[in-house]
Amino acid sequence: MSENNIKIQRNLWENPWGYVESFFIGIGLIITGLFLEVFSTSTSVFTIAYPYNVIFLGGYIILLFVLYKWFTNSQIIRWLTKVPASISSIVLVTVLVMIMGIIPQIPSENRIINNLGLNHITSNWAFLLILFQFVTCLGLISIKRLLQFKWSNFGFILNHTGLFLALTAGVLGTGDLQRLSLNVYEGKPSWIATDSYKNEKVELPFAFYLKDFLIEEYNPKLALVDNKTGSIAHNDGKNLYLVEKGETYYFHNFEVKIEDFLPNAIRFGMRYEAVNEVGSSPAAKISVKNVENDSIQSAWISSGSFRYPYESLKISEDYSVVMTIPEVKKFSSDIDILTREGDRISTVLEVNKPFKYKGWKIYQLSYDDKMGKWSNLSVLELVKDPWLPLIYIGIFMMIAGAIYMFWMGNKITKNKE
Amino acid sequence: MTWIDFPLYSSIIVILWIIGLVFLVVSYKKQAVFKIANALFVVGWAVMIVFVVKLWLELDRPPMRTLGETRLWYATFLPLIGFVTYARWKYKWFLAYSIAMASMFLAINYLNPETYSKTLMPALQSPWFIPHVLVYLFSYAVLAASSIVAIKGWYDNYNGNFKIETLKLADNLVYIGFAFLTLGLLFGALWAKEAWGHYWTWDPKEVWAFLTWMGYLIYIHYRYFHSQNSKQALTILALAFVVLLVCWFGVNYLPVANTSVHTYTQY
Repeated sequence: MSENNIKIQRNLWENPWGYVESFFIGIGLIITGLFLEVFSTSTSVFTIAYPYNVIFLGGYIILLFVLYKWFTNSQIIRWLTKVPASISSIVLVTVLVMIMGIIPQIPSENRIINNLGLNHITSNWAFLLILFQFVTCLGLISIKRLLQFKWSNFGFILNHTGLFLALTAGVLGTGDLQRLSLNVYEGKPSWIATDSYKNEKVELPFAFYLKDFLIEEYNPKLALVDNKTGSIAHNDGKNLYLVEKGETYYFHNFEVKIEDFLPNAIRFGMRYEAVNEVGSSPAAKISVKNVENDSIQSAWISSGSFRYPYESLKISEDYSVVMTIPEVKKFSSDIDILTREGDRISTVLEVNKPFKYKGWKIYQLSYDDKMGKWSNLSVLELVKDPWLPLIYIGIFMMIAGAIYMFWMGNKITKNKE
Repeated sequence: MTWIDFPLYSSIIVILWIIGLVFLVVSYKKQAVFKIANALFVVGWAVMIVFVVKLWLELDRPPMRTLGETRLWYATFLPLIGFVTYARWKYKWFLAYSIAMASMFLAINYLNPETYSKTLMPALQSPWFIPHVLVYLFSYAVLAASSIVAIKGWYDNYNGNFKIETLKLADNLVYIGFAFLTLGLLFGALWAKEAWGHYWTWDPKEVWAFLTWMGYLIYIHYRYFHSQNSKQALTILALAFVVLLVCWFGVNYLPVANTSVHTYTQY
């Protein structure tokens, strides 16, 4: 693996360490980590929280500076700032993440997977150790380029330092990350949230009052169903048609016309009528013409709801026309935040539009699926991540680095050295 | 409903491009006809753009939700990459490849009739949706182009006429593709923070996107420090593309798929 295609005879562990030694060390770290997994009895995840993670990060960065400044003559530091150490740790991190990408990260029955901890890679000692080597390489070379600053290294510094910051802050920040979920019911204040990771109740210093929970739905879709199998019988289940009044659609040799559509309706005798009642379901009047024999039949069909059954129309021995359950377009909670001081802050929470309040980010998470648009429960999520600014600095440095890289990559041409 | 018009549009485009490819092959003997080939490619591409714009307008949502729609964008970006790369590097084989690949993706879409559902789930209704997907697909298209360079490099190696310029073209493409890959990944992280409360959750798609990123990271570092070991570099480049393909199509078939929020919808 020499640079100039000249093979130099050298012994293992002789100066400077190359790829063989690097993979030796890296795989050694992984095996050590796996041993720790097998023999450690603790089942809890290793995390450190404030203030220890801040002290750790500060100490780690100072240590890296000291090592770089005064110990560059030592074999191990020199190795860590060289390419073989970087490439081997990138490769080995990739290998472990690949395991995570293949083995589902959920409780497993398999003894090997369980003992080696392959179903919780992110907290696996093998992963943490090799990641530590990876981050140490990254930190040392970031410091190296920072101390020997040159404008031509600007992109390099942005990419490497950005990744270092995002990774260390991300890993160390887990200990301080709080994610709570809170059920709020229409017309009732709620302040007891659940921390599902620690499985404990948390009392919030403020309460939520849900004034209104709103769901907007798309119109239901029309589908042709095989009477025997019950599965959708055209276009492999793709290309269902949105039910809209006045539209005409074609299935095989049937012409289906939508005469009327009511988003909220219930059956009265032979027909559906629009109502505004909890549990009413979408309904449409359709007429189906069999193109082969010109026979026409018409009827009301409905998607049904948690309260009323669905209704379909059997159009031949083989097929029926059904209306699917409408898909959700948008859901939102109109809430008030009530403070102990008696203040009242009104806001509307919606997916993709969280609200910031006193260091918390408040998200619209879900609702009662069964009740659908009649749900009076809204599930909120509260997230506090004090390390976020540091992570964002890292991310934005990498974005700037990527733009720089695009610009540099553009300059490579045939004749450039 | 524009997807219904797809057979018509795609046939026009593919016919134009195939005739163009024939002219391109002839142009190796008779340089003058290369202009005709180019004109046919550009006209075909213009038709493609018209189709994409019409589709977007009629769907009332960005056409980026389904696997078929991502293939459509891929087929749109590839010729563009072909044109720009040709302008700089003057490799006709590369232009021919990008047009042929784009035609192939149109053919796949033709054989798999797509959904033209207008619905879009709430989590996808975000200003990040369009930049995240477009940046990613552009990057995938550029990186696919770089993998073809790798194959070309192997072929040349086999025939003993490998030139280091080929790897420089690969570097050029990988740098651009990797820059966009990084942007796509980070935009995804910023979006996830807004939509799901956390920027990184090790969702299977995220895992494979990270792996793709690491794969090209290995290539870049290897090339930077071992600029003469062309064969190893070509191998890394090809392997990185395999990981990319797993990330794009393969995740759906892995045992981890049902724990993902990223599976493309079928309905």
